[in-house]
Amino acid sequence: MLDTLGQYETEIWQAIGETFVMVGVSILAAVLIGLPVGTLLFLCRKGNMLENRFLFSTFNLLVNTIRSFPFLLLVVFLIPFTRFIIGTAIGTIAATVPLSIIAIAHYARLVEQSLLDVPKGVIEAAISMGASVKEVIFKFVYVEARSGLVLGLTTSIISFISYSTIMGVVGGGGIGDFAIRYGYQQFKTELMIYVIIIMVILVQIIQFIGTNLSRIIDKR
Amino acid sequence: MLKLDRVSKSFSTFQAVKSVSLTINQGEIHGIIGASGAGKSTLLRLMNLLEVPDEGEVEINGQQLTSMNSKKLRQVRKSLGMIFQHFNLVANKTVYDNVVIPLELANYPRAERRSRVMECLQFVGLDSLMDKYPAQLSGGQKQRVAIARALANKPQVLLCDEPTSALDPSTTADILTVLENINKSLGVTIVIVSHEMEVIRSICNRVTVMADGEIYDTVKCKPTGILNKENSPKYFVEQLTKDVEIDHA
Repeated sequence: MLDTLGQYETEIWQAIGETFVMVGVSILAAVLIGLPVGTLLFLCRKGNMLENRFLFSTFNLLVNTIRSFPFLLLVVFLIPFTRFIIGTAIGTIAATVPLSIIAIAHYARLVEQSLLDVPKGVIEAAISMGASVKEVIFKFVYVEARSGLVLGLTTSIISFISYSTIMGVVGGGGIGDFAIRYGYQQFKTELMIYVIIIMVILVQIIQFIGTNLSRIIDKR
Repeated sequence: MLKLDRVSKSFSTFQAVKSVSLTINQGEIHGIIGASGAGKSTLLRLMNLLEVPDEGEVEINGQQLTSMNSKKLRQVRKSLGMIFQHFNLVANKTVYDNVVIPLELANYPRAERRSRVMECLQFVGLDSLMDKYPAQLSGGQKQRVAIARALANKPQVLLCDEPTSALDPSTTADILTVLENINKSLGVTIVIVSHEMEVIRSICNRVTVMADGEIYDTVKCKPTGILNKENSPKYFVEQLTKDVEIDHA
């Protein structure tokens, strides 16, 4: 088994690198855009600080629509958009576009749910102290919801890894694509098994870190 | 100093407060009592516009809250402390960090924050617990933290929404003593909502009785003083068996 592995070492490392790029960009998109979108959903909801039916329904529908696409279809559907943004629809960088879009929608929903768990009384106390909406969010809501936000991100990252495995269809590469091309299409089953083992270990590590981090920062 | 002028508030079809006018005087401890659903909590929450009235005006020191923009309103709220039945502390922040929040919000000089927080914590007798998280405290201690937090910005008025309803009788007495102290030594005007007659009678100079969203009457009274309730099992047994001729089961 180790012989075959040695033979493909460069390819495996390259595939792992591609996966990290795709998942890394997805995580960035989730935090930089998904978190604000989820917060906006929370704020615009009926009975909350910036109650706004129009904004809420718009973003709600958008998030739902993106999440209801089978991911493979979303990738294909977004090809013109990807080409418009990146200049090409093929390759690892191009693959980050559909991944980022699903990442934003995915994490935004989990953020909204975590924020809804913050006791209403804490928000009332904040308002009674004269906090602005921004201060309520940063000094109260995010602080109370932080372990949920970390757990949500952990779940999301694991989904992003899973999503990234099918990016081979647009030449995105990554270990999923490697397993299909070498392990499945070239009948090197042991290679496929090896990739699966790598992914299992990776997911275990991420979940372990996420669970423990969220427990450490949870003082409730 | 705090004036409600014909304020009304409805929640969908239920009218919680019906055209109520009330003036709270500087320096008094004003009680609001009534049955559940009488509108007393809503009335209190109208005073800092936590609930926005459908009709009527709220005025503090001649400033009309109801016609202010949100920035000005936030400024005024910083001079109105509020405490709640369920304390509403930030559970992921330590005692110290909870009390420092209002100072951060008010841009209190950074170098003086620490001493102000310690001053407030000393006032409620909790300076030794500053590094604890709320989950590690008893109910009475949590309410003291909430009081310290409400005091941090030196408020003119302290609004108390059922502050002792989640506490046992002896802790209730402790909290009432703290509130009375705040009124006496710091000169803070206090409005206290409660459904417990004993709580209201012990410290209030004036009491508004509410029923069905309206003021039934407002009476002047002489505070009876806080009875230091015992919390020992012996006291409970005595109370249970006095005047009754039964044996211990």
